[in-house]
Amino acid sequence: MPANLTDGVVMRYADLRPGSPADAVPVLLLHGFGTNFEMNWKTAGWPQELESRGLRAIGPDLRGHGGSDKPTHGDAYLPERFSQDLVGLLDELGADRVDVVGYSMGSRLGWDLALRAPERVRRLVLGGFGPTDAFAGTDLNSLGEGGTPFDEVFRTVSALPGNDAAALAACARGQAARPFRPDPAPEGIPFLLVAGARDTLAVGAEQLARDRGGSHVEVPGRDHVNAVSSRTFRQAVVDFLVRR
Amino acid sequence: MAEETITFTLPDLGEGLVEATVLEWEVEAGDDIARNDPLVEVETTKSAVIIPSPHDGRVVELHAGPDEVVRVGAPLVTFAVAAAEGPRAGIVGTVPEEESRPRRRVRLTPPSE
Repeated sequence: MPANLTDGVVMRYADLRPGSPADAVPVLLLHGFGTNFEMNWKTAGWPQELESRGLRAIGPDLRGHGGSDKPTHGDAYLPERFSQDLVGLLDELGADRVDVVGYSMGSRLGWDLALRAPERVRRLVLGGFGPTDAFAGTDLNSLGEGGTPFDEVFRTVSALPGNDAAALAACARGQAARPFRPDPAPEGIPFLLVAGARDTLAVGAEQLARDRGGSHVEVPGRDHVNAVSSRTFRQAVVDFLVRR
Repeated sequence: MAEETITFTLPDLGEGLVEATVLEWEVEAGDDIARNDPLVEVETTKSAVIIPSPHDGRVVELHAGPDEVVRVGAPLVTFAVAAAEGPRAGIVGTVPEEESRPRRRVRLTPPSE
């Protein structure tokens, strides 16, 4: 891996250790584009869910998001930069191996992490994610001005308090520069795709699971925004993580 | 032990939101629940969230079903809880206190190889 990370990016994260820890690997929670750990996971009930199972949760605000630094050049947001951050964070925390649970962009990044650092990932959950091009038809130089689904997402998240539109635009360009490829899949790492039945960004998830040997769970009646907090979603993920 | 009932109203969810839609209850009437256990999943125009229980107690009544819209301040659920010793100032629900959690920042340095 090229070691050309030149920007010392400060990352904010939560490290939530349960009162009565189970004999299990920690769970690394990776939020989606334009959100942060708090919005994507905490308010959706995940810390309580994991705590109740004795699981430690590690929840970073990814670069460009939340309380972490927000560089504004696209190169700072290539998937490999995020993977470097995450490996660095796991090193810092002394976490040799984790289960990765991503949502949306966080799933894309979890896949990248599992490919680049397979020894650090035991199991992988891709939430709210499918092998479609999220940026299809979108003009990456005038984000939020067009009428594509991603333009709409961009308009919504860039208006959220604490977000930096320039950093998010750079992040979108960095992600778009490395389109998702289903092949190769991370070798030897079991993975689960889980998404709302009405999640248009997760189209093709079932096929991806079938083609690449993963599991797939659909959450009835839910869309991209409201699947992550559903009990069905949380139980599917935790069952996948704790099974022997 | 003596019990009293407390009705918990939909808390202020911030950002000027005035209402939320019930997606799914995590409990039924009659269930025992501990403080901070998942209570109900609601959706606003911004996101979907889990509201944790503000009390230890027993669920007596749910005031709104799935897909119903609840205004901030309107009754959400009534609990039976162990009666407090001595007089109480009031019996209206309160917003659960923000639990403290470790939040740290770490400077990640480039890999050396």
